[in-house]
Amino acid sequence: MTAPEPGIGGSLPEGLALEQRDDAPVRMYHVSKSYLAGTFALHDISLSFGRGEMVFLTGSSGAGKTTLLKSLFAAERPSEGQILVLGRNIARLEGSAIPFLRRRIGVVFQDFKLLASRTIEENVGMALDVLGTPRRENRQRTFQVLKQVGLQHRRLHHPLSLSGGEQQRVAIARALVNQPQVLLADEPTGNLDPELTLEIMDLIADAATRGTTVIVATHDVSLIERYGKRTIRLEGGRVVEDSPATGRAA
Amino acid sequence: MNRVATVIYLLFRTAVRGLASSATTSSAAVVTIAITLVLVGAFTILVGNMRGMLDRFGGDLRITAYFEEGLDLAEARRIAGSVATVEGVHQVVMVTPDEALARFRETTGAEALLEGLASNPLPASLEIALLPEHRTERGVGRVEQALEGLPGIDGLAKGQEWIDGYARAANLVRFAALGLGAVLAVSALMIVSNTIRLAIYSREDELDILSLVGASRTFLRVPFLLEGTIQGLTGGLLAILVLWLGFVAFTEPIRVGLSFFLGNAAPRFLLCGEAAWLVLGGAILGMMGSAAALSGWRGTTG
Ligand SMILES: Nc1ncnc2c1ncn2[C@@H]1O[C@H](COP(=O)(O)OP(=O)(O)OP(=O)(O)O)[C@@H](O)[C@H]1O
Ligand SMILES: [Mg+2]
Repeated sequence: MTAPEPGIGGSLPEGLALEQRDDAPVRMYHVSKSYLAGTFALHDISLSFGRGEMVFLTGSSGAGKTTLLKSLFAAERPSEGQILVLGRNIARLEGSAIPFLRRRIGVVFQDFKLLASRTIEENVGMALDVLGTPRRENRQRTFQVLKQVGLQHRRLHHPLSLSGGEQQRVAIARALVNQPQVLLADEPTGNLDPELTLEIMDLIADAATRGTTVIVATHDVSLIERYGKRTIRLEGGRVVEDSPATGRAA
Repeated sequence: MNRVATVIYLLFRTAVRGLASSATTSSAAVVTIAITLVLVGAFTILVGNMRGMLDRFGGDLRITAYFEEGLDLAEARRIAGSVATVEGVHQVVMVTPDEALARFRETTGAEALLEGLASNPLPASLEIALLPEHRTERGVGRVEQALEGLPGIDGLAKGQEWIDGYARAANLVRFAALGLGAVLAVSALMIVSNTIRLAIYSREDELDILSLVGASRTFLRVPFLLEGTIQGLTGGLLAILVLWLGFVAFTEPIRVGLSFFLGNAAPRFLLCGEAAWLVLGGAILGMMGSAAALSGWRGTTG
């Protein structure tokens, strides 16, 4: 399902250690980010995220989780270092190239970010609209992905008539409808009850089994334990722990 | 439907939805543009009619030489013959007092003015038409000089001075129109720009989400340009409608008065080309207004 990764050959920044897997869809080299001079939201971070890998990003509030995710879809640029996402160097990416990168990345937020004035179908279809996907194909693919999250029967409803869990499923459907190679989720279950949390996390984990690189920021320790995936802990913008998957499946 | 057609469809749909959701502020922008264009259009109609009249008068600009009273016909013919040889003179026509009176009645219809008079007060005259290229102050001066020494000529009416003054007035009106139009256009521009700024602000959530799922700059911005342009077009069409209604309502009651200025010619409305320019001007105004609003927009996430 995942398209072949384009080689990045000469685009690798000079002088950087190459010990990381150089076919990984997401790579960070000595990345620092400071919003205010003298303070670091991210500090000298080097990480690599493989194809089909699911990774939890954890750490206390203000540790830099959101900043890290934002830097991966070019909502923030690194102050130092290089970030390679799907063969593109975020640090040097031209503004006009950002949309093309984002079309290959799905993003899910704690607050869903759905438009209340549009139907479920329209909310999901927006990700296809920006590609100019013809109407009929748009409806078919939207239907398929809504079916995948179990909401095809609600497609003509509006977001506010749905429960929180259902709204997040719509947001996941929107993130997945373009079959992204990278899926980023920032506290996707932060607003949801425990039962709904598992339901949402299963949908996100499914994407990894189809070959998508999945990075989930969360505070929820029980969730991390339950899934047994690779877990990266940030503190003060630094990586303080990077523990591999335990092999325990959910 | 291919992708390009789909994108164009979506851009228009977004623009139309945007207009519908901000109907009040959009209408205000449309009305402002319409007011601007109505004023510019009204001046255009005024100047157009003044120029039309100038062309007609210029076309049959004649110098009239009035004979002294009691001059005999043979002598008058001799004078006419010598005037005809002056450089630049195209044609010389003799007008008898009776003919002059008939013509006065015909062109003004003002019988009452003459009714009290016992005898015809109008003198015999020569109407001297110039060749087109000599219908200038210099050409008129040459004829004037040639006639100056001739016996039997009582006076000259040149018409030229009057026409020059009128042409100056028409130019003045035109410049006033341009000046006023420019000032109004700037204010219309600011209002459209403000309307679009509000529209951008009220749709920030949508823009953020679109940007997040990979909408291009074009996809985000063009709907606002379309909104401004549609507002401008609507304002332009509204202006044409208002001008036409005003034209009909206004010219009819004062037609008799107008005839003093326009002669037998009917007052004319905007030419098709002028109307098209007016509508196009509205569209350009609207588009520039939204371009100004967009240039101040920082964009969305990233
Ligand atoms: N736009 C911004 N401007 C200035 N400082 C910022 C900005 N965004 C984040 N920060 C700072 O950067 C640091 C990391 O913030 P970030 O949002 O990445 O933390 P987080 O790990 O996501 O926290 P939380 O768990 O509360 O969401 C914090 O100190 C925060 O105050
Ligand atoms: Mg955060």
